[in-house]
Amino acid sequence: MAKNLMINGESIDVSDQPEQMPLLWFIRDHLHLTGTKYGCGKALCGACTVLVEGTPTRSCQLPLSVAEGRDITTIEGLVDVNQVIREVWVEQNVAQCGYCQSGQIVAATALLQSNPNPSEQEIESALVGNLCRCGTYSRIKAAIQTAAQRIQQSATEELEGE
Amino acid sequence: MTQPVINLSRRNFLGATGVLVLGTTLRPAFSSTQTNSFNPNLFVTVHPDNRVEIVSHRSEMGQGIRTAIAQIVADEMDADWNDVSVTQALGDARYGDQNTDGSKSIRINLDRLREAGASARQMLMQAAAAKWDVGIDTLTTEEGQVVHLSEKKRVTYGELSSNAATLVPPKNVQLKNRKDFKFIGKAVPHVDASLISEGQGKFGADIRLPNMVVAVVKRPPALGQQATSVNVPEAVKNDSRFVRVEQLDPTPGAPLFFPVGGVAVVASDTYSAMQFSQMIDIEWSTSDNQSFDSRSFQQDLRSMVESDLPTVHQSGDVDAVFNSSEKVIEHTYETAFLSHAPMEPPVALADVSAEGVKVFAPVQDPQNTQLQIVGWLKVPVESVQVNVTLLGGAFGRKSKPDFVLEAVELSKRLSRPVRVQWSRENDLQYDYFHAPSAQLYKASLNQNGLPSAWLQRAAYPSITSTFAPQAKSPADWELDMGFTKTPYLFENQRMEADGLVAGVRIGWLRSVCNIFQAFGANVFVDELAHEAKVDPIDYRLAMWPEKGLITGPAMPTPPGHEFKIERLRNVLNRARKISNWDTGKAEGRNLGVAVHHSFYSYVATVIEVGSGSESSQVKNAWMVMDCGTYINEDTCRAQMEGAVIFALSLAQMSEISIKNGIVEQDNFDSYRLIRMNQPPNIFVDLVESTEAPAGVGEPGVPPVAPALTNAIFAATGVRHRKLPMSMS
Repeated sequence: MAKNLMINGESIDVSDQPEQMPLLWFIRDHLHLTGTKYGCGKALCGACTVLVEGTPTRSCQLPLSVAEGRDITTIEGLVDVNQVIREVWVEQNVAQCGYCQSGQIVAATALLQSNPNPSEQEIESALVGNLCRCGTYSRIKAAIQTAAQRIQQSATEELEGE
Repeated sequence: MTQPVINLSRRNFLGATGVLVLGTTLRPAFSSTQTNSFNPNLFVTVHPDNRVEIVSHRSEMGQGIRTAIAQIVADEMDADWNDVSVTQALGDARYGDQNTDGSKSIRINLDRLREAGASARQMLMQAAAAKWDVGIDTLTTEEGQVVHLSEKKRVTYGELSSNAATLVPPKNVQLKNRKDFKFIGKAVPHVDASLISEGQGKFGADIRLPNMVVAVVKRPPALGQQATSVNVPEAVKNDSRFVRVEQLDPTPGAPLFFPVGGVAVVASDTYSAMQFSQMIDIEWSTSDNQSFDSRSFQQDLRSMVESDLPTVHQSGDVDAVFNSSEKVIEHTYETAFLSHAPMEPPVALADVSAEGVKVFAPVQDPQNTQLQIVGWLKVPVESVQVNVTLLGGAFGRKSKPDFVLEAVELSKRLSRPVRVQWSRENDLQYDYFHAPSAQLYKASLNQNGLPSAWLQRAAYPSITSTFAPQAKSPADWELDMGFTKTPYLFENQRMEADGLVAGVRIGWLRSVCNIFQAFGANVFVDELAHEAKVDPIDYRLAMWPEKGLITGPAMPTPPGHEFKIERLRNVLNRARKISNWDTGKAEGRNLGVAVHHSFYSYVATVIEVGSGSESSQVKNAWMVMDCGTYINEDTCRAQMEGAVIFALSLAQMSEISIKNGIVEQDNFDSYRLIRMNQPPNIFVDLVESTEAPAGVGEPGVPPVAPALTNAIFAATGVRHRKLPMSMS
């Protein structure tokens, strides 16, 4: 029986892959979606974060057998969803080397979807699993706050416009 | 299925000619495909469609060099920033130094990059003058156009490119006045920021080649061990994803940039290679390094500094003053082994074929990588092409291309492209480690509480042991990083140093020996100030002249990079001001200070920690940097922010320990780093300066750890003399 994953809205056959293969390596090596990064292989650094049914999940510890049938979104699949976040990320020059930033942005996107106005502490606890060796934490925090304000503002403007 | 690799123009060129001949590659790489393009020098190409392609010959690892180089060249060219793109250079001797290391990219390149831009601008103006038949002095430039002042005529650089391409570059160029800079000194967003935010930045493991396979190397538990038997289970052998195992033997002698050896497990994909590498059984030969123990090594370093060591500098009579002094203070400081731990572990893709060698890797020095490959394979330099991807952090690790040689060796044996992927475990356990250290400081105080005699001793394994087997003593340039090059100079003074050979590879980590040498000096001075009951900022200022050059036993400096005490005083005074040091102290806030000169920059740090049970919590950090002329204001700030986090990790929690030659930490649960919930508020103050450009990436790190432990002392009276504070 063919097994399928939904990745970035596309149904993908994984029936010829080992069940225990972590989702990370499937999306990198087989789908060639390289925005999701390998950092530790033990769910300790967050570089491989993807959304599974909207929840930030470490793809390095998620076997294909468990990912099966779920709706998965990678950093590449968020491009139409997180324009404001990306815009702020660039404006505020958040990234240094950039390697962990896919994971950070995926986590930030999920946070703002579930909590449009997170406190500093809520940001910290949502992203505590995402390491950044360059030390961009304070910019990430500030960028999430700016993005939250901007998203709310445009939502208000839209409402007022109607 | 494959993805295109970066830099298509270069690939097409290669494809057309087969073997790469570097002597003709770099310039024709652009102009051969775009014959009307204007390519006056190694750094600039103007295309007929107005695109301005600027070459970054330095590696990007988060320090913003690709953006900074573009800012410099575009500024002198008067280019339209929207037309500018950055192309990453191959390793090629024609660029001069490409070793992206030592915080020197801007310091050694600013002038020539300005000239490259200015020269292009001048030739474009010359082309316009000829086109309009007017004098060049009637022309100026503005955002990618040459403008005729009186006739209000304009022509774009692109329109001029084919004519400009026929001109000879000028011998002398006119550089801009500082006040006319449009990009230099400004906070320009990084050129790769947008791609990175979409997950489209291309790092080492993101490049694919047709028919490539992936190798994971199971390395010897202790250095020098060699596989004596390798047993591959049937289950692996029968798996269609298994390709083969290849034994790599360690190279005898100094580590250099050679692979540590082991058994490479090659498979069609990364997961399989990793999984198979755990299933094979290997027996290893013995090695002297199996007896290496970091805890007893640390003890040995400590014992060393407790007695006389070879003198590296001496003035006056230290012992006589000590003997006649009532107050003599002595303390020992220790720091641990550290690992670089960039978020991107080492990774390299190599394709060794009859056509030559092609490498894609996140390396800090593509030219040295090229030379290492030439030496390893015994092939001509022209046949080796090193492409630099984005570096997912490096901090000095990726200036050692051992991981590239692994990929090259395997590709040669397999006759197909091989990517070597290091696991995080590999990264932490087979690093070129930052040296541990012990330092002893001893001083007698005069009636004013200032040092009347001063002894400093340091013991640590030398980086030179990576290049010469058994090299024991710290080199002059290691001591120069804050030990012999120091603002703490006295009439009666002796400096002593020696080392020990470690059973692991020693390398350079962001700010190198400054990390522990700034720690020892800045904590000891804080201890003396406390003894003397003088504010630690006042105490330092009282020791130093108002102005003048600091030389002492320091190594000679390049012109314009003399160590000026007035600049050190200035950053310290500014840190005092922006942290509200004096009122803060009076109000009982727990503040600690440190100041350090490294990579020709001056940085002062004030740290504030909480009180009572929160005394290990860092609340605020103030960073003042004078790095001379700087290129990107925001990058400088970002580097100071990053330096605080990097240094807090090594001060509070990161430690590599080794038992039986085996590194005990293997992932981020045991090698701990600062996380999102731990950083302080960071305030950066950047000194506006017309002095020569100095380092930015590294000099922020050294003063942070001593400022932290000095703040904790202020809060609790407990003096931390070991790093990390949690040292086992």
